[in-house]
Amino acid sequence: MKDRRERSFRAARAALPFATLALLFFVPEIAGGGSIVYSTCVTIAIFAVMAYGADAILSYLGEVSLGHTIFWAGGGYAAALLSTRLAWDGWLTALAAVVVGVSLAAILGLATLRTREFVFSLVTYAAAIVAFEIVFNWQFLGGSDGVVGIPLLTLTSPVGDFTGGSNEELWPVAYALLALSILFIHRFRRSRLGQEALMAQMNPDLAMGLGVNIQKVRLMVFVLSAVPTALAGWLYAFQRAYVGPDMFEAYFLVFMLTAIILPGRRVLFGPVLGTAIVIVQQTFFSIGGDGDKIILGTLLVLVLIVWPSGLIGAFRFALRRLHR
Amino acid sequence: MISRRTIYGAAAVALAMLLHPGAGQAADPIKVGTIFPLSGGAGPNGQAVTNAVKVAADLINQSGGLLGRQLEVISKDDESTPAVGVSRANELIAEGVSVVIEGWNSPVTLAEQPVLARADVLDLTAVSKADPIVSGRGNPYAVRMNSSNAQDGAILARHVIETLGAQRIGFLTQNDAYGNGAQEVIEAEMERLGKPFEVVVVEQFPFKQTDFRVQLANVKSAAPDAVIAINASESSGMPALIQQYRQAEIEAPLIGAVGTILPTVFNVAGSALDGVVSADIYFPDLPPFDSIPENLAFVKAYQEAHGETPDKGAALGALALQVWAKAVEKTGSLDRKTVAEAIRGNSIEGTLFGTIAFAENGQAEHDHVLFEVTDGAKNEIKVLGK
Repeated sequence: MKDRRERSFRAARAALPFATLALLFFVPEIAGGGSIVYSTCVTIAIFAVMAYGADAILSYLGEVSLGHTIFWAGGGYAAALLSTRLAWDGWLTALAAVVVGVSLAAILGLATLRTREFVFSLVTYAAAIVAFEIVFNWQFLGGSDGVVGIPLLTLTSPVGDFTGGSNEELWPVAYALLALSILFIHRFRRSRLGQEALMAQMNPDLAMGLGVNIQKVRLMVFVLSAVPTALAGWLYAFQRAYVGPDMFEAYFLVFMLTAIILPGRRVLFGPVLGTAIVIVQQTFFSIGGDGDKIILGTLLVLVLIVWPSGLIGAFRFALRRLHR
Repeated sequence: MISRRTIYGAAAVALAMLLHPGAGQAADPIKVGTIFPLSGGAGPNGQAVTNAVKVAADLINQSGGLLGRQLEVISKDDESTPAVGVSRANELIAEGVSVVIEGWNSPVTLAEQPVLARADVLDLTAVSKADPIVSGRGNPYAVRMNSSNAQDGAILARHVIETLGAQRIGFLTQNDAYGNGAQEVIEAEMERLGKPFEVVVVEQFPFKQTDFRVQLANVKSAAPDAVIAINASESSGMPALIQQYRQAEIEAPLIGAVGTILPTVFNVAGSALDGVVSADIYFPDLPPFDSIPENLAFVKAYQEAHGETPDKGAALGALALQVWAKAVEKTGSLDRKTVAEAIRGNSIEGTLFGTIAFAENGQAEHDHVLFEVTDGAKNEIKVLGK
């Protein structure tokens, strides 16, 4: 009897992420629809996907990558340049975004193979600055003006063609990308690579003793982490219809790290929750640019000092206290 | 004495208004959105432009409004960040504004343009200078108030080649799209004048640089007849460059790119500015602006509201609102295309810039004023011509 209850409880628990994921699709409608709700939801989805890439590094390798803006911009520029100059459609530009992101990550991953902790962060940050300078000064990539005139996102399929102009039209694509990223992280956590990455972070000696090739694991995770971030950049290019060197700005970097740290690391829905908190505050409860930064900064400091396991950690702690 | 008839009349009107909510809506304000940096480094500049739009709107409201309706300005902060500007644009779209006046930083404008265009909201750029803004690719109905790089290049080229008769030219150029683009245009305009000249030295530097001594040593050894400085860092880089130019004792006259010799440069560089020649498109108290009634009214109202004289950025913000209001008045419409077509390729009368013409691509056409700083410490300049 107890066994059966236990089993059904476990099944329910395993199904919970999928049920939550399915529910997310209806959030814009539940929130009342309208252009501002859809634009906010699409932006949250895109930024969350961007953050899931950095999350793979921060949560499972225990490193702070300050270079993920490179893959974000890489995806965005791939979409912008190929759609404006070669008239590539959504699928082809998405493929190109992934190829660009993975290639750049492979290079940066190899360069940082032997670095750890702050040296790793420093090298990734330096790489982001170099990439910014190259893009900013290279007219072929649009220089400091960036790339204007990106067409509407078109995705052709046997069932029918999709064209996304408004945020409402883009929502299913943004949602699908978000859902895929969450499933990707979900799968990754349970995969051998995910387990090995965590072990390499928590107890490198044990990992090596068990025959884990730590450098290979780190490189694999780093390269994989570029995929969601590059695809987020790809969709962002179509949502905004403009791509510029601003994609390297600290704004996006700080955003990724905040979205991961605020709810707490290694939480499946953490980055999407963190992104939603920040964007909703800035959109609906803004107290001005400086004020918003003060609120966000204070919240981050509080979380990091008082509750390093993040808001979800604090919530779980409170829940356990109540159950006692 | 109120007659019974008046009371009946009033009651009938009240009833009619209750039954016809549309009658009440006719008096709803027309919403005007602004997006400029209100915080961070460019915050003071963006606040001045935003304030100017509000002052100009107040002036219209005081004289009876537009199409019988009052104007309501909703201002947003883009934090000099394109991604934030896009969010603010989406907010204004949701609030149902009839027009958005935006643009201090070009990348922010370029990011906002397609968002507003897709939502069919009229978008007027006040200050941002990048060339692609009026290319029609981000916004096929673009309109820009500030002068373009091409217009700016012509007046300086004429001064250097024809007035100064310089043949050996030096450039100190900010290394980005703005700086390199401006230099390219000046060189092209100098070519067009058909007199022999040679660019003997080009020294480039990043936007944030404040120490120019190495570059200035190179300029000095190249012995140019005239040096053109293109540096948009008006609060730190440009005044530092001018002071170090004097310290390096370079004899060639120094010419500042159009719109770079701003009050902030005077405040820091002081007497080092003496003799520097530059050009700009707006001076609140110099001809022809001192005889344009709309400008006098605007300057007075701005001073009363904010205790200072409006600068060029502020004037361009007010100009955007006035141009839009005149076009709306003329067409009797708030429709994006109708209003934009009344501005693009047409002249608009009765603004604080007098009658201002717009090219087919929406670029405003300005008369530049060439000036020489006579006493930088006292903020005194001399007009050299147009």
